[in-house]
Amino acid sequence: MTSTTATKAAGSFGLERSASRHTIFGLVIVVVLLFPVYWMVNVSLQPGGRAVGTPWFPINPDLSGYATAIAEQSPNLVTSLLVAGGSVLFSLVIAAPAAYAVAQLRIPFARTLLFAVLICQMIPGIVVSNALYTAFNQLGLLNSIIGLIIANSSAGIPFGILIMHAFMLSIPPSVIEAARVDGAGPVRAFVSIVLPMSRNAIITAGLFAFLFAWGDFLFAVTLTTTNEVRPVTVGLYSYLGTYVNDWSAVMATAVLASTPAIAVLAVAQRYISAGATGGAVK
Amino acid sequence: MLQRPAGSTNDTKIYDSVLATCEKTTGITIKTQDIPSSGYLAKVLQQASSKTLPDVLMLDNGEVPQIAESGALAPLKPLGVTTNGFAEGVVQASTYGGELYGVQPVANTIALFVNTELLAAAGLKAPTTWDELKRTASILTKGDTYGVAFSAAASEEGTFQFLPFFWSNGGDETNIPTSEGAAALQLWKDLVIAHAASESVLTWTQADVNDQFIAGKAAMMINGPWQFPSLDKAGVKYEAVALPAPQLGAEIVSPLGGETWTVPVTGNKEKMASAAQVVQCLGSDASQLELGSGRNLIPTNENLAGQYAQENPKMKGFVDQIPGLRARTAQLGPDYAKASQTIYTAIQDVLTGGAEPLEALRRAETK
Amino acid sequence: MIMTEIKTKPVIAPRWRVSGRNKERLLQQAFLLPATLYILLIFGYPVVQNVIMALQQYTTATFFTGHAPWIGLANYQAVLQSRDFGRAAMNTLTFTAFSIAGQLIFGMLIALYFRRRFPLNNLLRGLLLLPWLIPLIVSSAVWRWMLDKDSGVVNQILGALTFSDVRIGWLTDTTVALLAVICVNIWLGIPFNVALLYSGLQDIPQELYEAAALDGATGAKAFKHITWPLLRPVVTVVLVLGVVYTLKALDIILGLTGGGPANATQTLSTESYRLSFQQFDFGQGAAVGNILIVISLVFALLYLRANRKGSKA
Repeated sequence: MTSTTATKAAGSFGLERSASRHTIFGLVIVVVLLFPVYWMVNVSLQPGGRAVGTPWFPINPDLSGYATAIAEQSPNLVTSLLVAGGSVLFSLVIAAPAAYAVAQLRIPFARTLLFAVLICQMIPGIVVSNALYTAFNQLGLLNSIIGLIIANSSAGIPFGILIMHAFMLSIPPSVIEAARVDGAGPVRAFVSIVLPMSRNAIITAGLFAFLFAWGDFLFAVTLTTTNEVRPVTVGLYSYLGTYVNDWSAVMATAVLASTPAIAVLAVAQRYISAGATGGAVK
Repeated sequence: MLQRPAGSTNDTKIYDSVLATCEKTTGITIKTQDIPSSGYLAKVLQQASSKTLPDVLMLDNGEVPQIAESGALAPLKPLGVTTNGFAEGVVQASTYGGELYGVQPVANTIALFVNTELLAAAGLKAPTTWDELKRTASILTKGDTYGVAFSAAASEEGTFQFLPFFWSNGGDETNIPTSEGAAALQLWKDLVIAHAASESVLTWTQADVNDQFIAGKAAMMINGPWQFPSLDKAGVKYEAVALPAPQLGAEIVSPLGGETWTVPVTGNKEKMASAAQVVQCLGSDASQLELGSGRNLIPTNENLAGQYAQENPKMKGFVDQIPGLRARTAQLGPDYAKASQTIYTAIQDVLTGGAEPLEALRRAETK
Repeated sequence: MIMTEIKTKPVIAPRWRVSGRNKERLLQQAFLLPATLYILLIFGYPVVQNVIMALQQYTTATFFTGHAPWIGLANYQAVLQSRDFGRAAMNTLTFTAFSIAGQLIFGMLIALYFRRRFPLNNLLRGLLLLPWLIPLIVSSAVWRWMLDKDSGVVNQILGALTFSDVRIGWLTDTTVALLAVICVNIWLGIPFNVALLYSGLQDIPQELYEAAALDGATGAKAFKHITWPLLRPVVTVVLVLGVVYTLKALDIILGLTGGGPANATQTLSTESYRLSFQQFDFGQGAAVGNILIVISLVFALLYLRANRKGSKA
């Protein structure tokens, strides 16, 4: 709870030592919180991979689980990637202008929209997926990547509007106004001023849109009925059925399912830190 | 288009081979679609509402009346499908309102699996009565090992495992809260209270139970013959024997499990006729034997029983049971789903200490 | 909070050409149009359908014939009278309150801790997000084994720490199952909280702390006078989102306990799922779903009112 000021007060002399102590404690936090993840990796490397009586360490790592997982799940991983990527684009294209309108433009309707967004977050996914099934069936969107993108954005869009709106509030109206006086139309002001300034918020919104879509299970399982379009969460779920005997393959799939998401985070985190120090916020 | 729940790799492999043979004999091209097994019924109902049911549909035999009642399935007799020689209980399970709706090529039920090494080490024999089961399980409970494992999950699996105890003691799903039914529940409760069975039975699926048994964490388990391949692979020394009876020599009534193949009403007469041919082929002697031997299940055609038992000696215990197996939906038809829920709710209530057996059965029923 | 901010937002004076005002207004509306349409179609339509379904009697036959007779409010009556409902409502309350409190407290502590400068800070903070990346269905499966009574790692660790044989039926004992589910849910929510709170903390200018330090305000004092007030908008967003996400949490409970043992972890959300997708009584399931939406709504309104009062004072 002492925050940065404590470090500062420690002065330059004691800084080195206390800093490495902080690293160690930070490491402890991470180890505790990531233990379940370690366990998943551990099981994925166990030969024969039984859920029961798993040893603490993969002393004799066995990659057969991964071989099975890659052989059986690659198309599903591609589907997940397409759906999550598509959902990021779709969410941002719809949410960013709306967030801007709510934050900066003076439209009476904007407030209502924000309230609606808040309400949307309260609707259980099961209610949505139920209705979407019937609608998608008539529109021919079942078992399609487009259908899943539209459905999965139901998490990304409201979240994106909330996050980006909160950020765009902090953009001084005078900046936009100045551009307008210089003759920029509202669209250009949005594209060339607001969007670049909101880069951090956009990355955050996009990141979360990706994660929501990537981890989605409910829509994936209700809106697909064939193997042709099947996200990896459902692929995994099929494994978890009644007759699972090879847990290492299941956990290897789980690990594989996590890797692209980790990659995106690794890239995006750099942007976030760069943006934060770049002073775009202030 | 044929649809089935996603099963284990072994099940899928054998079915694929059987279907390939059927493609040859019928000249019909079969496209297969696997659906996650959990939530399968929900998916089927969704498909029914959106008129996207496949041409051939696999169902658990316990689900047939429920789906047939909705009018989604076509009666098979008019389509020329026959089930001559099939065990009576098997045909009955796929029948609703006097019409045959499904063909079940192989059947299964559950038995008591014992770890022969652990039993021999304790100088015990496989229990044949409830009292022996309790005693044997208590003695075998040592350290990390429980005496017995079973599935008491809040799902059809829990009910399925409980039914042989319930039925063998005179329990009746049309009148659930009786002292006979309660006594069966008391048996499970006694096992858990005595720590002869883990409290975790409440969440275990039958696959989880099998994992426990393989890991040596349970000396006995209640499970089905579909676990043989994984048990053999793991190298466990085991034996499958008949489930213990309430009293010595009492008849054991076990539920008839297994999948049945149906033809949904899709409106396309030509396709439905082809579908019926495929279903008939799935029920043929050759299919039954291949499915039975490959997956350790029992052919439903009684004429095949002798040959099959000879070729698969370890299945003999199961083969003998087939004529006496009871269809879960025999009495209640589509209402079995409700009864099943009543039963597993009561099981959960009792094993968590929420209520005494009879009270729990009563409570679950009035809900 | 969000609403009040809009109100107090200084208005941009429409200084530019008057002749373009109509076009201008149209363009402004165009910014909102896609989102509005999307929300109406993806959220509005299902809710309307759900309200209608709750007034109908669904059986499995309904799926094929499409025929579901109108039965008025009978579904609501049946649901409210069932013994399960009160239990589920109570569980929902406990689950939500403790999950949110835990997530916020741990999230805040960790976010504050990582404000310190130390080697590997960025890397470690990145790693912390991992639990969030893992699909829920995997997390619940992993936790299920970890919490297993007999061979679960959690009991093994507790046993090693206390030098005894710990056998807690985390997911099978009715007295602790809800606690276990809450703990897992807190674990799931920490990355989300840390991420948002940390980015909020980054927006607080460092100079404020330096100035406060000169006045002798450091540590807890600085937190109370600088961090907390400036972080409040972010905390508010985190809380509101947390509550609405937790109220409707479904996957994690289904994955861990399926609402059991003996309904000990059944919430309104899982109860609605159970009625619809296990009992196939979509009418009653829809009724519970609607009740859940109304409860969320009441929370949202209470919260908005409290905030309006708060910001006036």
